[in-house]
Amino acid sequence: MSASAEAQRLLPRPLLVVLTALLCAIVLVPVLYIVLASLNSDVGVASGEFWPSSFSLHSYSRIWTTADLSNGILNSLIVCGVTAVASALLGTTTAYVLVRYSFRGRLTILRGLVGLQSIPGTLMLLPVFVLFSSAGNYLGLTVVGTRWGLFVAYLTFALPFSTWVMVTYLRGLPRELEEAARTEGASTLVILRRIIFPLSLPAIVVSGIFAFLLGWNDVLFATVLTRPETHTAAVALSIFGSAQEGGALPVYSQMMAASLVCAAPVVILYLIFQRYLVGGLTAGGVK
Amino acid sequence: MLNRKIRTAAALAGVTVLTAALTACGGDDDSGGGGGAGKTLNVLIGANTQFPEQFAAWQKSISDKFKAATGATVKFETFASANDELTKIQTSVVSGSGPDVYAVGTTFTPTAYSTGAFVKMGDDEWKKIGGKEKFNPATLGISGPDDNNQVGIPWVSRPFVMAYNTELLKAAGIAKPATTWDELTQQAKQLTKGDQYGLAIAYKDNFDPWKFAWGMSVQAGNPLVDGKTAKLQDPAVQKAFSTYFGWLATDKVVDPAAVGWTNPQALAAFAKGKTGYFLLTTTTATNSLEQGAVKGKWAFALLPTVPPGATSRPANGVEAASILSGDNLLVADYSKNKDLAFEYVKLVTDPEVQLDYYQKFGNLPANASALQSLASDQRLAPVTEAAQKSVATPFTGAWGDIQLALTNVAVQTLPDLTKGPISTAQIDTRLAAAQKSAQSALDRAK
Amino acid sequence: MTTLIRPPDKTAPKQQRRRGVTERQRPLWLLTPGGVLMILIVLIPLALALWISLIDLDQYSLRRWIEAPFIGFANYTESFSSGLLHSIWISVSFAVLSTVATVPIGIAAALVTQNAYRGRGLVRAIFLIPYVLPSFVVSTVWRTMLQPDGIVNKVLGDGSTLWLSGPRAYWTLVLVEIWAAWPFIYLMALAGLQSVDHEVHEASAVDGATWWPKLYKVILPYLRGPVLLACLLATLNHINNFTLPFVLFGAPAPDNVNVMPMLVYVTSFQSLRFGLSAAMAVVSLILVAIPLFIYLRAVRLDVHDEGGRR
Repeated sequence: MSASAEAQRLLPRPLLVVLTALLCAIVLVPVLYIVLASLNSDVGVASGEFWPSSFSLHSYSRIWTTADLSNGILNSLIVCGVTAVASALLGTTTAYVLVRYSFRGRLTILRGLVGLQSIPGTLMLLPVFVLFSSAGNYLGLTVVGTRWGLFVAYLTFALPFSTWVMVTYLRGLPRELEEAARTEGASTLVILRRIIFPLSLPAIVVSGIFAFLLGWNDVLFATVLTRPETHTAAVALSIFGSAQEGGALPVYSQMMAASLVCAAPVVILYLIFQRYLVGGLTAGGVK
Repeated sequence: MLNRKIRTAAALAGVTVLTAALTACGGDDDSGGGGGAGKTLNVLIGANTQFPEQFAAWQKSISDKFKAATGATVKFETFASANDELTKIQTSVVSGSGPDVYAVGTTFTPTAYSTGAFVKMGDDEWKKIGGKEKFNPATLGISGPDDNNQVGIPWVSRPFVMAYNTELLKAAGIAKPATTWDELTQQAKQLTKGDQYGLAIAYKDNFDPWKFAWGMSVQAGNPLVDGKTAKLQDPAVQKAFSTYFGWLATDKVVDPAAVGWTNPQALAAFAKGKTGYFLLTTTTATNSLEQGAVKGKWAFALLPTVPPGATSRPANGVEAASILSGDNLLVADYSKNKDLAFEYVKLVTDPEVQLDYYQKFGNLPANASALQSLASDQRLAPVTEAAQKSVATPFTGAWGDIQLALTNVAVQTLPDLTKGPISTAQIDTRLAAAQKSAQSALDRAK
Repeated sequence: MTTLIRPPDKTAPKQQRRRGVTERQRPLWLLTPGGVLMILIVLIPLALALWISLIDLDQYSLRRWIEAPFIGFANYTESFSSGLLHSIWISVSFAVLSTVATVPIGIAAALVTQNAYRGRGLVRAIFLIPYVLPSFVVSTVWRTMLQPDGIVNKVLGDGSTLWLSGPRAYWTLVLVEIWAAWPFIYLMALAGLQSVDHEVHEASAVDGATWWPKLYKVILPYLRGPVLLACLLATLNHINNFTLPFVLFGAPAPDNVNVMPMLVYVTSFQSLRFGLSAAMAVVSLILVAIPLFIYLRAVRLDVHDEGGRR
């Protein structure tokens, strides 16, 4: 180990090892339990087994018929994916204007961006719903139950966040290139496309991922704004979890398998982009 | 400048394509009018995770039959739980759009009625679905506040009974299942020894507790609601709750873990074969019971109908074997396909379809002749009897709140239950709170 | 790593005076798509929520909600007699406790992954897992483990401990929230650590400082800013967390875990008192606005350079 690495170490080695092991255990033990339980039988899990008496992939094959997972995951991927792309792009342009130009109300908008992220979802649900359904009555648009409606709803949560991430990023971006381009007559859109987007790609990726996750994690809005064809993964899982009244036995193993399947896409996404997230979070600072 | 315009146009075009793509994904077809062919009827129905394949097959077969009869397609929407169902109803009420036909749990019918968003059944409407007389009369008890204002069309019944372990009862020298609550408690004590318990009860269930409280109170002559007055602070209700909690805390005839059980968990416990009775279950549990260690060693019995603390029912007591439980069908007032909706209702309340549904999912027919044809089944006898002795819960828009208040008495008492017997003072305090919220719900009722 | 996200802003100050170049053609229209969306789906519903909190909207009037009678502040007065204060207390104490508990864990985790070693990438990935798992998955899993005859009681060897109701329910809620939320503090602390200059490390090492004084006097001050920010945000997130209590305990929730989002949900979607529930939600919004106000003031320092240019 080099001298500088040694100097970087903040904790004595034994403490470091113990802490790392402890924290990993805290995280991994429940995770291990989920994996084991998903490989167990429903009855085995119900009787409190940690190590399955018999391993099987039965639960993984069952859940595709007992829960509407494939449809749910597809819907989630579509809605959240489109939300991610749209909010990252819109967020970048909005942030660009907010950072580079001064105008009246700019500070209010900046504050609003943060404020909007803290509105409780339970407060917004009913009014959003009433508005969406009234759109059906008065404008002849079907919003409730479409992926489109859900997309718009998620965009509202994702956009302030994405914009905020981009504001913090763009603020630190040097202006020389833009100004050089501008003196050569490039329009704002050209500058955005040729300079800002390529330069801030890492931040755009981060804001897109967070937008994706906001949508993926939502249960509240998705339950009310979707219909069976447009159910998201979260809704499919919660339906599966609660639809056990009336003479059914608990299906814990399948629950765990379904949970893992629902979590898999986001976990993969996180792990791939892990290196970007640390800074991205500090910039936006919201889960 | 021109350049910029082109870019703008391109950006706009991009947005439009995006929107179009999303709209295309949305997949909603709203076809109105009358006639049948090419139309879609939306039906909201409870999800079935117990028999998902069979349920899908059933939907398909109904859809085919409906198409053959009317030319229109049925599209099923499912709800997960009673809460989900309630949300769906609200959603449709606000928006004036949504499913054409709802399968709604009986106890939610009053709430649905109170929104005024469902078709009131007149003579014409009843005629369209094949006449009121085709139903088991008891099932009509919760269709509306009175005979002239009915919205609910009985579809299936799930009367509550208890299941008992025939072997354990025999081993304990019990000749026949209890018919009074006191006798049940007595037998449960006999059955409890070692790792064996007398009763399996779902204390943490969100719906079971109030069913006990209501049942015992009605048997003692208090239906909980008298016109616009809630009567929760009453000796009968208090006795009901103290009996109910007493099984675990005083009599110790229930596994202490039951404090955390929901109905499926209590069922699973009984299915292991170490419990004498499982209170509050129904025919839909048959399949689950046959999968467990209790297979072939269980039978249904009528829940006791003599209130706790008594050896015979008081004069004003009602022989309520079960709440009137099951599903009603409601046709939405905003539906543009009412005639098709009634066609659908007619189809699924016909004897063959009803029997087929029973065979697949264990829900008893609401159709009188279909129910009659099941009477020969020995195992079902107690259940069909319970279906006839089911009593409707009070028909008021406030019932949902009253139910919630009663459940809450149990929810809030559970912590103390693990510590030991519950005093009547504790029950009284909780009942006072329940009374307050029940009364205020009734005051608001219109 | 962070440089990817935050390019060095050393050049920024020099640019400040030259804004005149761009002043004339401000492309404010670029704000329109975002702005319209915000107004449509945030501001209008917010205004509508305020309106609903002033009318008597319930199941009986829902169908013609526009005609529901205006009753002024009656919903607000009623909400205070329907357990709102109790729920506020539960929510706030739960949120603060969870935040306070996650801070040392998060900082410790950041410290142990600060210096490079083989397998650090894996450890960092593991630390992120609870944060990554969707809330509905976390709560489902814990609910299963905490069943009376579930795995936790099996391990503890006691079949009757109740985690999901009774006095422990509150602590269950706090513990599960801590399990799920500490990586957030960890991430923020990690980002803070990365702003510590290399020279600072070197200097304190040369001084021969032992680890604790070095950590306490030299390193931790660097973390104060980001961690304080993280605390505020985490507290807000805890207060607004609906999924966790909803999935863990169901509705109606036991009194001691009846947090505000649950109360609002039950009032509106089980008791169908939409007006009352909107009033409760507005009160909780005001409550959230207090720490938010603090946050915005803190953030303003961050915005300062542009703010000054107005």
